[in-house]
Amino acid sequence: MSTVTTAPATQRVPVAGVDLDVLRRGPGQPLLLLHGFEHIDPRLPIVDLLARDAELLAPSHPGFGGTKRPKDFGTMYDLVHLYLEYIDTLPAGPITLMGISFGGWLAAEIAVKAGRRIGKLILVDALGIKISDRETPDILDVFNAHPDDVVKKSWHDPAKNAPRYDDMEDEELITISRNRETLCRYAFHPYMYSPQLKRWLGFIKARTLVLWGASDGVVKPSYGEAYAKLIPGAKFETIAAAGHHPEIEQPVALAERVQAFLKA
Amino acid sequence: MDVWYQCEIPYPNVAKDVLDRAPSVRGSLPNRYCDPKIAADLFEECIDEFLLCDDRGLNVVAIEHHAGINSLLAANPMLVAILARQTRKARILSLGTLITLRPDPVRVAEEYATADVISRGRLEIGFVKSGGSEMASSNMSAIDNGWRYWEAIDLISKALTSHDGPFSWEGQYFSHRHVNIWPRGYQQLPRMWSATGDASTSRDVGRRGMVHALVLRGPEGTKAAFAANRQARVDAGLPAQTTDNFAYAALVAVGETEEEGMRLGEKLLWFLNTSMKSAPQFGKFLPGGAPPEAAPMIYRSRRAPDTPTPAGMKPSIGGALIGTTPHQAKAQGILFAGTPDSVYKQIMDFYNFVGGFGHLVMIGRSGPMTHAETEKSINLFSREVLPRLKAIAPVQAGFNQ
Repeated sequence: MSTVTTAPATQRVPVAGVDLDVLRRGPGQPLLLLHGFEHIDPRLPIVDLLARDAELLAPSHPGFGGTKRPKDFGTMYDLVHLYLEYIDTLPAGPITLMGISFGGWLAAEIAVKAGRRIGKLILVDALGIKISDRETPDILDVFNAHPDDVVKKSWHDPAKNAPRYDDMEDEELITISRNRETLCRYAFHPYMYSPQLKRWLGFIKARTLVLWGASDGVVKPSYGEAYAKLIPGAKFETIAAAGHHPEIEQPVALAERVQAFLKA
Repeated sequence: MDVWYQCEIPYPNVAKDVLDRAPSVRGSLPNRYCDPKIAADLFEECIDEFLLCDDRGLNVVAIEHHAGINSLLAANPMLVAILARQTRKARILSLGTLITLRPDPVRVAEEYATADVISRGRLEIGFVKSGGSEMASSNMSAIDNGWRYWEAIDLISKALTSHDGPFSWEGQYFSHRHVNIWPRGYQQLPRMWSATGDASTSRDVGRRGMVHALVLRGPEGTKAAFAANRQARVDAGLPAQTTDNFAYAALVAVGETEEEGMRLGEKLLWFLNTSMKSAPQFGKFLPGGAPPEAAPMIYRSRRAPDTPTPAGMKPSIGGALIGTTPHQAKAQGILFAGTPDSVYKQIMDFYNFVGGFGHLVMIGRSGPMTHAETEKSINLFSREVLPRLKAIAPVQAGFNQ
């Protein structure tokens, strides 16, 4: 994994019966970041980079990282409503919503529902819709594919960036396993998409930027281009030398694109 | 004691170099390696062996596995239906349709009721929790598998025992607004079995009074699971059960000499040594397959040799057994092999060690065993071992613990 900095603090925020672990960092307008397959590690460089010009709010979805999942909570429906409630607790006015991978799917669902409360929307290697025909999966099945294949397709530079389980602490491995189990619960069937979301993307009111790792083999840039075309006025850009996790492989480039979009 | 004959109808005809190259011989091996003409011959031989068992006083078991060389029985009800029609005396245990992987338990109840009627009440219903590559083959996740298991069993039981018109089921995992199966079962409710070895499910099985089956679990694991079952009944204030509520499944090969029995036993071990090879996404990385707390022990590529099997994982059936020799398998109580006298002694040693069981499930054909070898082993067993086992009456389970 990439170089890390000192860990910023997380806060435990009670929302709709969930004690949500929220990583909070930086001054300025709120930037709500919804993570993908893994929760945002507070030591990742992307945290400080995004917190330079905005107040970064990066919650761990229930069941991921430090957030416990209530027994009666386990669907995308629950996640959308949880974050709508959370957004309600933020200062009035439009916020920026950013979602990566699975969190991109979640961000798109929320943007459809939250209307003008979302001023800007940034989707990074987002999942959530079905583009190709019924015999062509758009999204690599990270549960049923061989782990070596998943690593190869997830990273631009697997040798440098893919997690190495042999070098990890017990607690980190337990968290990864719990995160995978939770992801499976939220997104197993249909696999990583909602059959209905595509129909509603055209009603997103936020200014939208769609960013994609140029080397993403989990879900290809062409999927991102198609995604962007479904959202009115959305811009599509790729990030060089990044796979499915630009926040880890190219944090500086990703943060620069985000900041340029926020300033525009 | 009753004895039940089981054959998974494996497909041992794929070339070794293909199997060596494949990351998994289950779940993802292309079916171009399955010649349907060979498969037809295998079915014919194996069904004939089941019929021989019927003739010799053995009961029969139909299992289910998906998409691999270990078994051609992807559709359990198909074999159950054939056995229901073609056997005459044997009790038929479905062990079983993989209910946590099937979306509609009511359909499973219909299949079972039909087989029970066709066999005129000779059906017994076994439930297995499944896992591994079966999940991928059935488009399912292992998350909440245990909870789905019990809810499916409850729904199947209610469907089989309700006779007053449609009822509705809106559970956590299954929803069926109009349940009213025809035909109703021949028996009010066939005896139910559950194949499981973990302590938590063993306790559930004990409280529910199902037949508790352990498959290739070895003496220590079996003893512990049976003890958990019995203790759960004590804790719940339920009466003690007899050995008739306990079963053990092992590989069994009988020869005229010790050497012949062991030679057949070695062929049976193909089941462990060749057909178990499975890719990591179907095993250690399967979400829900083991609790997250087990990750430090299973995610790392190098595992300390003395690392215990993580809680929630199956210790006996899995990669750990690949490479087992016949003598090791015999010592571990997963293979009973040799002459009739020797096999009888091995079974009884195991019986006494675990506190007794009323049902032996003998896995009698696997891998390269031929039809002739299998029939000879079945004949020897039923002539010289079965009568001695039949003479063992049910006694209180755990009688010597």
